[in-house]
Amino acid sequence: MRRTMLYLPGNNPNMLTRGYLFGSDGLILDLEDAVAMVEKDTARILVQHFLRQGEFGSCEVTVRINGVDTEYWKDDLAAVVPFPALQGIRAPKVDDAKTVKIIDEELSSIEEKNGIPLGRTKIFCLLETAKGIWNAYDIATASPRVAAIIPGGEDLTADLKTSRSSEGTELDWARRMLVFAARAAGVDPIDTVFPRVSDDAGLRKETEFIKQLGFEGKSVIHPNQIPIIHNVFNPTEQEIAKALKIVAAAKEAAERGQGAVSVDGRMVDIPVVKRAEYTLLKAGLSEVK
Amino acid sequence: MNTAQAGTLESMDCLVTVSEAAPGTGVKIQIAGSSASRFRTAMEKKAAEVIASMGVKDIELSIQDNGALDIVLGARIEAAVKRLIGGGR
Repeated sequence: MRRTMLYLPGNNPNMLTRGYLFGSDGLILDLEDAVAMVEKDTARILVQHFLRQGEFGSCEVTVRINGVDTEYWKDDLAAVVPFPALQGIRAPKVDDAKTVKIIDEELSSIEEKNGIPLGRTKIFCLLETAKGIWNAYDIATASPRVAAIIPGGEDLTADLKTSRSSEGTELDWARRMLVFAARAAGVDPIDTVFPRVSDDAGLRKETEFIKQLGFEGKSVIHPNQIPIIHNVFNPTEQEIAKALKIVAAAKEAAERGQGAVSVDGRMVDIPVVKRAEYTLLKAGLSEVK
Repeated sequence: MNTAQAGTLESMDCLVTVSEAAPGTGVKIQIAGSSASRFRTAMEKKAAEVIASMGVKDIELSIQDNGALDIVLGARIEAAVKRLIGGGR
């Protein structure tokens, strides 16, 4: 599950130590925007030590590296990829499939050198420009390592030559496009951060909107945002009860050798069963399957 | 004398200052700050381990601690020494 992926500044020992305690599904140890240029070296070493010895609970651990247009990205990858705690890297400013391929090649080379199974390190692509959004499907299918694509917030807005509004009008099309591209490619669409950290109502509204669009989860910049997003993404009691009923009916039908079955007057076929199973998975009841 | 620093005085961090020392003078470690009185021995041990693992024999090291865990202390010392070797900052 990737309902919430929390950014932790890569040069902040306090957050790196306590980050996993906030209960997000994933963590992003950030070597990019959260780290000052003059501290890139110390942040990289600190993150490396945390990957070697740190505690992350059951969180999916990723590191946001610096962009391929900087002098840092190869050193970032070399420092973090060898550690089993790392599950993926979040690559900023991915504009096209070529960028993914460049990163893929570098990852393969590091994995090979370190005796790591080829392809273990996933790539989470940040699409922060109009070009990146336009190329979303090509990016998502550029490598089997791609696990998710994420629209940019501030950078994308700047590239569109507009500004962030509370309604998010400027990101509307990009978000819809990104969900289509991700789903078509079989990767997760994960939303950008909600920047107004004290606006809980605004966060809830935006999360409800992006959930309805088809997003799998959201990037998070403040721990207080996590329970609100989980609350929106978690299935309601009613949804769980319905899903349990559908899955049980489908199981029974399968045992009797029947395909479709009716539940509460509605025909239940494979897509409905799949959705119900997914609801149970999100509710932590996947063993029902 | 070349000097380099890494870390901060923020909570759970430490500021490590390292200076070149004359050959044969060995490793000198100074510790001050919130955990110094309780954890001095453990911190000195960690510092000595990191320095040794980097192949450095003669160095002066000063740690201003603000509750850094072992893992943070190790990272800050490594960063400071790398900066020193790389020309300081």
